[in-house]
Amino acid sequence: MANMEDVIICRCEEVTYGDLLSTANKHKCTARELKLRTRAGMGFCGGRTCRLSIDRIIESVVPDMKQGDIPLKYQPPVRPMTFGTVGERHE
Amino acid sequence: MSDCIIIGAGPAGLAGAIACARFGLHVTVLDEFIKPGGRLLGQLHQEPSGEWWNGIKEAERLHQEAIQLSVDIRCGVSVYNLEKEDSCWNVYTNAGTFTAPFVLVATGAAEFPIPVPGWTLPGVMSIGAAQVMTNVHRVQVGKKGIIIGANILAFAILNELQLAGIHVDRIVLPEKSAISQKAGEPEEVLKSLLNAAHLAPSPLLRLGSRFMKNEWFRQLGLRFYPKGGMKVNGTPLQLRKAAIEIIGQHQVEGVKVVDIGVDGTIVPGSEEIYEADFVCIAGGLYPLAELTAVAGCPFQFVPELGGHVPVHSEWMETPLPGLFVAGNITGIESGKIAMAQGTVAGLAIAKHAGKGRNAIDHQIEHAVQHVRNVRASAAIQFNPQIESGRQKMKELWEQEYGSKLNRASEERIG
Amino acid sequence: MKDMSRIIDHPVLGKMPDRKVLEFQFDGHTYQAYENETIAAALLANGIRKLRVHEESGNPRGIYCNIGHCMECRVTVNGQDNVRSCLTVVKEGMVVESGKQLPNIIKRMVEQS
Repeated sequence: MANMEDVIICRCEEVTYGDLLSTANKHKCTARELKLRTRAGMGFCGGRTCRLSIDRIIESVVPDMKQGDIPLKYQPPVRPMTFGTVGERHE
Repeated sequence: MSDCIIIGAGPAGLAGAIACARFGLHVTVLDEFIKPGGRLLGQLHQEPSGEWWNGIKEAERLHQEAIQLSVDIRCGVSVYNLEKEDSCWNVYTNAGTFTAPFVLVATGAAEFPIPVPGWTLPGVMSIGAAQVMTNVHRVQVGKKGIIIGANILAFAILNELQLAGIHVDRIVLPEKSAISQKAGEPEEVLKSLLNAAHLAPSPLLRLGSRFMKNEWFRQLGLRFYPKGGMKVNGTPLQLRKAAIEIIGQHQVEGVKVVDIGVDGTIVPGSEEIYEADFVCIAGGLYPLAELTAVAGCPFQFVPELGGHVPVHSEWMETPLPGLFVAGNITGIESGKIAMAQGTVAGLAIAKHAGKGRNAIDHQIEHAVQHVRNVRASAAIQFNPQIESGRQKMKELWEQEYGSKLNRASEERIG
Repeated sequence: MKDMSRIIDHPVLGKMPDRKVLEFQFDGHTYQAYENETIAAALLANGIRKLRVHEESGNPRGIYCNIGHCMECRVTVNGQDNVRSCLTVVKEGMVVESGKQLPNIIKRMVEQS
């Protein structure tokens, strides 16, 4: 797993696997805390892309955590709010 | 104000709209994509009967039927929040707020990403993205590509790419990690592929699968798995190779691949670079349930259904009055199931809205049975344990909500 | 119209139907697109994969999910930022610009020293 340390997990904020692993290990924290400490999941896509990867990393690091233990939590808005659409919707 | 708002104009949403509208309800369907049909639009495969399932045609058929019934379909509309206010639901979008007593969330599924070093390079895309470019937009995704991840979805889309004349050089596995998990273990991948082995395009795979179901034979088979891979319509499936890096300066130029053991461990010194100008990551699907989450719907983690799933009844009701779900959001299955579920949801909404009198219960049960029939005759099954997943949800509902909501459904809402 | 990157003929879907050709701009260059296709699709058909760079690192980015979830494909359209090119249909005369790296004065100074 030579390269895995540098692989980007949160594409929006360019947070790597190494960043997440070391932070999770150091603090044995919840997903929410991990996001606050590393900024993963706080980018433009609202964590949509990295959420599951982060959950899996936490599950692998926190002892006794089973798959699916991390509850689903979403904050609105779940889509970027723009004032009007460019390109227009079709009638 | 509409009687019912449907979020998602895919097979479940359109079928739901049709069922509702047939009872005279005024229905509005919202979808963020440029045209209706959802992910049906990209689907193209042959059933074992030889008949083609043409998603574009199916979507058009549903679209036309909905239009005939005066369903209002609005594309290019993104829903960013869903909230109950008194007895109505507010659907917040970039085109304003829509309100109705009934909402059907039919937002489908999303793909699991599998992070690979270099995966942010232009030219690396989810395999669903390749499907949309190929079948919906008719644009070539590249001249030569590599698929990372071997699962049913990957094979279905590989087939679509091949049909369109796109050169897929090979399929390899992702590197085993805490994130890729079983997707990086040849033993596990083979096991899951074998559950759909009757779909194997190659007679060799089909014959071999009978023996492969046996643990011992499987281990043997994996140990002697040809290095060049077994061909799937000309594209080698290399179960003993893993992608460890995607390389390129401004866009994809190649993929660095290593040999792996049967459990996914890397064979040192086996690195090779294969040229490619596009890479598809195939991580599998999970229910896209974020809107039901912000609406406050309870969830259950059911791996057989694909992940966290909004709690729902066989009638597609959720514990929140007026909120319904249908399609892949309830669990990953086919477009046909999504349609059948959409119909159940539409009928259930009509009943909750006070339509249909005595006959409607019967119609709903008939529609529920239809879902079961479609499942029993499914050609492609993303997850062989789907039946047990559906059963888990059914039991959970009955335990937690069964008796309570049956009474509530007699009341008129809105 | 350059059709080298198009799937004109398909054994099951049939021949691509005739569509009107229109022109749009991307980063100052003029390109052709077909009516009713997304900006992302039109650009890919013209061989363009890079739609923006990461605002901080400057690393190149293109489409990932192609269905509006990942936000990677965001471009500026007719002056409006952060428009998802995978969900936006090309219109005649549209002016599209790729997403740029944000200036970070302190960083530049450190890099240059």
